[in-house]
Amino acid sequence: MASQGLVYDGCNFFRQRLVLSTLSGKRVKIKNIRSKDDDPGLRDFEASFIRLLDKVTNGSRIEINQTGTVLFYQPGLLYGGSVEHDCNQQRSIGYYLEALLMLAPFMKTSLKATLRGVTNDPVDPTVDLLKSTALPVMKKFGIGGDGFELKVVKRGMAPGGGGEVVFTCPVCRTMRPVQLTDPGKIKRIRGVAYSVRVSPQMANRIVESARGVLNQFLPDIYIHTDHMKGANSGKSPGFGLTLVAETLNGFFLSAEMSSTPQGQGNPVLPEDLGRNCAKLLLEEIHRGGCVDSSNQSLALLLMTLGQQDVSKVLLGPLSPYTIEFLRHIRDFFQIMFKIEVQKPFEDERKGGDKVLMTCVGVGYSNINKTLK
Amino acid sequence: MDGKVKEQKRHQAKHSGPKAQKKLKKQGGSTEEDECKRNPKAFAVQSAVRMAKTFHRAQDIKTKKHHIPLVDRTPLEPPPVVIVVVGPPKVGKSTLIRCLIKNFTRQKMGDICGPVTIVSGKKRRLTFMECNNDINTMIDLAKVADLVLMLIDASFGFEMETFEFLNICQVHGFPRIMGVLTHLDSFKNNKTLRKTKKNLKHRFWTEVYQGAKLFYLSGMVYGEYQTQEVKNLGRFISVMKFRPLVWQTSHPYVLVDRMEDLTDPERVRTDPKCDRTVSLYGYLRGTHLKNKGQVHVPGVGDFQVSDVNFLPDPCPLPDAQKKRALNEKERLLYAPMAGVGGVVYDKDAVYIDLPANHVNQQQEEVRPTTELVQSLIDTHATLDAKMAASKVSLFSGSVTLDPTDIEQQSGEKEGPHEKQVWDPNTQRERRAVVFTEEEEEEDAVTGSSDEEDDNSEDSEQEKEADEEDDNLSTFLKDARARSERTEKTAPPVKRQRVEEEMLVFADSEDDLEMSEEESEEKGQSGRAGDSGHCSEEDEEETEDEEEEDDDQESDDESVEEEGAALMEQTASESEEEGEKGTLKWKEGLQQKASEAFLRHQEAAPNLRKLVYGSVVEADDSEEDKEELGGLFRVSRPQKSKKFKANAVDCSRFIPDTSHNWDLEEMLNSIRDCFVTGKWEESQDAATLLKEDEELYGDFEDLETGEVHKGQTGLQDQAENSEKDDDNDDEAEESLVKVDDEEVQKNKRLDKKRRLKERFDAEYDDGDATYFDDLKEEMQKQAELNRAEFEDVDDETRVQYEGFRPGMYVRLEISSIPCEFVINFDPHYPVILGGLGSSEGNIGYLQMRLKKHRWYERILKTRDPLILSLGWRRFQTIPLYHIEDHNGRHRLLKYTPQHMHCGASIWGPITPQGTGFLAVQSVAGTKANFRIAATGVVLDLDKSVTVVKKLKLIGYPYKIFKNTCFIKGMFNTVLEVAKFEGASVRTVSGVRGQIKKALSTPPGAYRATFEDRLLMSDIVFLRSWYPVSVPQLYNPVTSLLLPVGQKDNWAGMRTMGQLKHDLGIRNKPNADSLYKPIVRGQRHFNPLHIPKELQKSLPFKSKPKQQQSKGKTPRDLQRPSVIREPHERKVAALLHALSTVHNYKRKKAHMVQHAKHKEFLQQKGKQEEAKLKRQKEARKKLYRVMGQMDRKKLRSSLKGAPQED
Repeated sequence: MASQGLVYDGCNFFRQRLVLSTLSGKRVKIKNIRSKDDDPGLRDFEASFIRLLDKVTNGSRIEINQTGTVLFYQPGLLYGGSVEHDCNQQRSIGYYLEALLMLAPFMKTSLKATLRGVTNDPVDPTVDLLKSTALPVMKKFGIGGDGFELKVVKRGMAPGGGGEVVFTCPVCRTMRPVQLTDPGKIKRIRGVAYSVRVSPQMANRIVESARGVLNQFLPDIYIHTDHMKGANSGKSPGFGLTLVAETLNGFFLSAEMSSTPQGQGNPVLPEDLGRNCAKLLLEEIHRGGCVDSSNQSLALLLMTLGQQDVSKVLLGPLSPYTIEFLRHIRDFFQIMFKIEVQKPFEDERKGGDKVLMTCVGVGYSNINKTLK
Repeated sequence: MDGKVKEQKRHQAKHSGPKAQKKLKKQGGSTEEDECKRNPKAFAVQSAVRMAKTFHRAQDIKTKKHHIPLVDRTPLEPPPVVIVVVGPPKVGKSTLIRCLIKNFTRQKMGDICGPVTIVSGKKRRLTFMECNNDINTMIDLAKVADLVLMLIDASFGFEMETFEFLNICQVHGFPRIMGVLTHLDSFKNNKTLRKTKKNLKHRFWTEVYQGAKLFYLSGMVYGEYQTQEVKNLGRFISVMKFRPLVWQTSHPYVLVDRMEDLTDPERVRTDPKCDRTVSLYGYLRGTHLKNKGQVHVPGVGDFQVSDVNFLPDPCPLPDAQKKRALNEKERLLYAPMAGVGGVVYDKDAVYIDLPANHVNQQQEEVRPTTELVQSLIDTHATLDAKMAASKVSLFSGSVTLDPTDIEQQSGEKEGPHEKQVWDPNTQRERRAVVFTEEEEEEDAVTGSSDEEDDNSEDSEQEKEADEEDDNLSTFLKDARARSERTEKTAPPVKRQRVEEEMLVFADSEDDLEMSEEESEEKGQSGRAGDSGHCSEEDEEETEDEEEEDDDQESDDESVEEEGAALMEQTASESEEEGEKGTLKWKEGLQQKASEAFLRHQEAAPNLRKLVYGSVVEADDSEEDKEELGGLFRVSRPQKSKKFKANAVDCSRFIPDTSHNWDLEEMLNSIRDCFVTGKWEESQDAATLLKEDEELYGDFEDLETGEVHKGQTGLQDQAENSEKDDDNDDEAEESLVKVDDEEVQKNKRLDKKRRLKERFDAEYDDGDATYFDDLKEEMQKQAELNRAEFEDVDDETRVQYEGFRPGMYVRLEISSIPCEFVINFDPHYPVILGGLGSSEGNIGYLQMRLKKHRWYERILKTRDPLILSLGWRRFQTIPLYHIEDHNGRHRLLKYTPQHMHCGASIWGPITPQGTGFLAVQSVAGTKANFRIAATGVVLDLDKSVTVVKKLKLIGYPYKIFKNTCFIKGMFNTVLEVAKFEGASVRTVSGVRGQIKKALSTPPGAYRATFEDRLLMSDIVFLRSWYPVSVPQLYNPVTSLLLPVGQKDNWAGMRTMGQLKHDLGIRNKPNADSLYKPIVRGQRHFNPLHIPKELQKSLPFKSKPKQQQSKGKTPRDLQRPSVIREPHERKVAALLHALSTVHNYKRKKAHMVQHAKHKEFLQQKGKQEEAKLKRQKEARKKLYRVMGQMDRKKLRSSLKGAPQED
C-alpha cells in the first residue's frame, strides 16, 4: 500500500511520535538516536516504553538496528485488555502513563494496565498529577463512565521504585467536540502531601508551608497527607506535594514537586518544598487556561481526533513540548490549529497571555472496537 | 386522439353565487357545532385498555420517526448534485441526459462523455453521469451518487441490471432513487399499459420504499422525450432533498471531470511505460479534504496526493439576485470530457481546445524555430539563474547581504509563475508587480525557459514526438536531456518550486504582514527574507532596540529553558548577528531572557509561525542548505537542532524564572483568578442584583393603588430638565427626544426579552426532551462550524480545515500507472475517494456475510471473491466461519444457504459498520444475478481466530478394567504431554481422559474411561486447529485495461474454474464411489448350554437331545380304506339321520333353555317378594324393639332404677 512513513531525527519527542503513529496508522522511522553520544542508541526506559506499546497493540512491527540508533515502527491495532508492565526506573510511571492516556480510549477492549516502577520523581509528571488533571480533561471529551480511574496502589519514590499504579479506561468510539474557552475563577485548592519511608511529620510540614503561601488568595484549601507504610511504601524514601486548583467551571490547574531522589543532589527541606510548590501553582495559575501546561498536548490530541466539528480550547502559553506536538499533529493528521493570542485587559489581573486553540477534528473513529 | 375524445369536462365546484352560499350554509350548520359536543358519547372513553394501546401506538410511531440527530455539515455553497442515470443498454439513458441538459441550459450535447455539470437554478447545480452496463461502473457510481435516475424499459419490464444496481445501492448507503419508465409508447392497448405501469410500480415500491417516485416518459418526439415531461422531471430533480449518507459524509471524494497528463514528455518519449504525473479536477464532495492525503481511485489503486489546489469555480452559481429565473448567461454547462467549453483553466495555465485542423497548421509553422530557440535559451538561462542562486545561498548567512540579490533570487523562482497565469483570477496582484520589475532587470529569457519546462512543454513536446525525423531538433533535445541529467535540478524539481511558490500565496496572512513590513521599511525587506524562521515582527523590534536585541538573541542560547522550540529561531538569528554580540551578554541575563521570552509570547500572529513555521520559508531554507546551483552541497553545522533532537523527552513546562512569586505585584497579577478577586461587570454580584431590581422594581400595589417606581426616576428627571430647556432649537430638541425615545424603547425591548427568557427558562424546560436537547446541541455546533472560519480567506482557511466540499479542486498525483493515461476512457467514471487516517493499511477484517438469496450457488471457503468495500474493489480469499455457542469461530466449508455467517479476509482496513458486497467475477454478464453476497465489517485485527475441527484417532492395545493403553494417536511423548488431561471419546460414546504418556511405543499413552473398552473400540480426540487466512489483496484495476475491454477484468480464478478451464478432473476416492450392495449369508453359532444348567432346567426348557423320529417305514403305515357303493349309501344315510337328530336335539335344547330361563326369572321374582316381606317384618320388629328400648331408657331416666 502507498502509505509511506515519516522520518524523524533524534530521540526527543519519542513518545509523541510513536503514539501518533499508532493512532494514525502511519509508520515512522526515527534515525540518529543519540548517534553522536558516547552511549549511542535507545536507553532502557525507551526500550521499556516500546515494550509497553507492543503489549497494548497487536501486529506492531518494531525494528531496531544493532546500535539502537535507528528505530522503525509500523503500528498495529490497539488491543488493550489486561496489561502488566514493569516500567524502567530511569523514568517514572508518568512517562509511560502519559502515552497510555492518549491511547487508552481507542483500544479494542477496555484497558486495565498495571504499571510498576517509580510513581514520583521530579522529572516527569507524577501519577498523582495525572490522576487529578489528565482524567478530568479526558472526561470533558466524553471519555469516562464506569471504570475510568487511576489508582495508586503502592507508592515508589525515585531511585528505588517499587510503586504500583492501576489504570483502567473504557473504550470510546468517537470524541466529542469541546468548547473550553472560559476557565472561570478558582474556587478551591486541594492537594496531596505524600511521604514514604520518612517521618510522617514531613507531610504535615509541607502542608503548613504551602498553606502559608496560598492562604493569601483563598480560604478553601485542603491538603491531604498521605503516608504509606510497609509494603506500599516502595523502596526509597522521599516526600512531595501535588496541588490542584479547581475552577468554577470544573477545570483543574496543578503543580507538584517531589524531593530530590536519594543520593542525587542536595536534599530539600519539606518547608521549602511546600513553599516552592505553592509558587509553582501560582505560576500555573498565572499561565491559566482551561487545561494546565502538562496536559496541553493531551487536550490538543483529543481535539484533533474529534468529529469534524470545530473544537476550541483556551490554553496558557504553549510549552515547547506542545509546540512540537502541534507540528507532529500536522505531520500525522494534516491538521493545523488556529492559534489566537488573547491578551488580558488593562485592569484585569488574571495572569499572562492566553492562547485560544481552534481546530476542526479529523473525524477519527475508533477502528479497533469490535462491532457486535 | 382517442383519449382526448373520451375525456369529459370535469366537475367544477362553485366558489361563489347562490349555489355556493347554499352549500356553505349547509356545511356550516353541521361543521360549526363541534362533533364532540354534538355527540359526546361517541367520543367518550369506551375502554381504558384500548385507549392505552392507541396511545402507545401513537408514541411508537412518533419515536420511530426520530433519527439520531447529526451535525449539519453541508457547506454554504454545496457541490453539484451527482445524478447518475442507470439502466440496461438501449433504454434511453443518453437521450434522457441530453433532454435534461437541453431543458436546463438550452444547449444540445452530442456524445455524453464523462460528467456533465450544469447550473439548474439559483441554488442548485447538477452533475449528470451516465452509468453503463459494466458492474464496475455501477459499483463506483453507486458510491458517489446523490440521486439515481433508474431507467426501466416498460415494454420489456425489469432487467437484472436494475435489481443489481438496487442491491449495490443498498449496501453502500441508499441514495435517492427515482424510477423512470421509458418506451411507454410501444403499448398499443391502453389497458395493458395501465396494468404494466401498476405492476412495475408496485415491484419498484417493494424494492425501494412504499411510495417511491416513478416517472413516466410516454413517448418520443423527433428522437427526444416530450418537452413537458422532461420539464416536470427537471422540476422534481431541482427541488429534491437528500439525506446525508454515512460513508459519503465521512470521506472526501471527487468525481473527476477533467484529467491532464503533466508528465515530462521527454520521459514519456524515452520510456513510454513510465509512471505518469496527472492532475485530476473536480468538485470536492463529502467532507473536508486534507492536503497530501491518501486517496483511492477505484479501478486504479491507492495514491498519495502530491498536491491539492482549489481553482475558481468553472460552473459557478449565479450571484445572489432577486429575480425568479436564470438568464441565458447564467445557465452554464461544464463538461470538459465531452469537449464542451473550449477554454479550461488550470492553476497556472489555460488550455484552449481548438478544432483539430487549426492545431495542425500552427504546429507545422511554428514548431522548428521555437524549438531551436528554446533549447538554446534553456541551457543558457538555467546556468545564469543557477549562478545567481548560488551566490545568494552561499552568503545567506552573512550580514552583508545584498537586497537585490534576494530579489533576484525570489524573482527567479517566481519567473515561471507570472508568465503562465493568463487568468487574473488565479493570480495575486502583489506578486505580479514585484515580478515585472524583476523581469525587466533580468533577461526575459529565464521566465520563458522555466515556463517551457513546466507546462507548455507538455503540449509542445508531445508534438515533438511526431517529428522525430528532424535531426537537429532531436540532437538538441538529447543534449538538453543529458545536461539535465547531469544537473541535479531535473524538471520535476522545478515543478516543485512552482508549487512552493503557490504555497507562499496560500499563506496569505503572512504575505499581508510582509507587505506592510515592506511598505514601512523597505531597507529591511532583504533581511526579513533571509532569516529562515525569524518572523517579521521580530525584525521590527530588533530595529527599535538594536543593540539590546543583539545581545538578547545571542543570550537566548543560554536560556534554553525558555523553550526548546525557540532554539531554531534564536540560533539562526544569533548566527546572523553573532559578530556584534561580544561580551555584553553577561549583563542582566535573566531579565533579558525573560523579556525575550515575553516578546515571543506576545507576538500575536507569530505564534502560528513559531509553531508551524511559514511553510514556504522552511522549504526554501532547506533547499538552500541542500544544494547550490545543483553543484555544491552546503553543510551547515546545526548544533541547536542536533541538541534539541536528542534532548530529554519530557512534557513538563519549566516555569519562567523571571516570575518572582515573593513580590506583591506578581501576586496581585493573578488576584482575579480566584473567586475572592474582582468579578467582571456582567457577573458581579452587585450588577446582578441591580438587574433584578430593574426587572422587578417597577410594580403597582394593587391593594393601595400605589405605584412603586424602579430606576426610571432618574431618567424622568432628565426628561423633565430637557423639557425645561425647551427654548433651544426645536429641531435639535426633537432629535434628542427621538434619541431618548429610542433609548427608552430599547430598554423596554430589552426588558421584555429578558422577561421572556426567564419565562422560557421556567416553562419550556419541562417540555424539552433529551432528543430536543441533543438536536439543539447539534444545531449549535453546526452554527459554530459555519461561523468559525467564515471571515478567514480561502487560502488560509484551507490550511486549517482542509479543502471544503463544494470547492473545485485540482489534485496532482505522481506515479500513476501509464495505462491509466493511455487507456483513458471518459465514459468510465474516475473517482478520487479520500481515505481516513488508517484506511491506507491492510489487515484482517472480520465480517458478517450472507449469500444473496438470488445468487444461485453457495460460496466456497478459499475461493477468490471480488469485494466492493469502502471505495475499493478488490479480490480476496475469504474464509467462512460461524460462531459457536462458546465464542469459537469454526470454519465452514461453504456459506450457509439462508443464514448469516462470518467471513475473514485479508484486506484494507475499513471502519466497522461499513457495508460491502461480493461478486464472483466482474467480467462479462454471463451470470444470472451477479451479486453473490452482502454483509458488513465487524472487526479489524492483525490476526484471526478461525479454527477447524481436527479429530485425532487412536486404538487401544491393552485394556485393564477402566484403564487402557492407547496407541496411534500421537508420535512422540512430547505430543502426549501437551495433551495431558484432554478428554477423549470412543465411537460408542464412552468418555475418558488422557492420563500420561507411555515410554515404549512412542506416542502411546494411558487413559481412563468411564467404562471398560473393547479392543475393537476406536478412541478419538476432538481438537481445534487454527487456520490462517490467505493474504491475497488484489485491487481490481479495471480502469487500466484497454478501451473497450474495461469490463473484462479477470483476477485469480477459483479452483473449480481452473479445473474446468484446464480440463482437469479429479480422481475420486474409490471408497466414496457407489457400488451394488451385496449381503452375505448370516450364520449363527449353536447355543451351548452347560450340563449343570441342563440338569436343573425343567423338561420343557431342556434341550431336546432326541433325534426326530424320521419317516415311518412302509410296513408300519396303515393302508387307506375304500368303501363299497352299498356301504357308501349306508354311511350317507347315517350321516343324514345323524344330522336330523342333531338338529332336533339342538332345538329341544334351545326350548329347554328358554323354559329354564323363564323359570329362573319367576323364581327370582318370588325370591324378591320373599325378601321384601322379610324385610318389612324385620322392620316392624325393630321398630317395636326400638320403642321398647326408648321406653326403657325414659323410665330409667325418670324414676329409680327398678330393675337394677
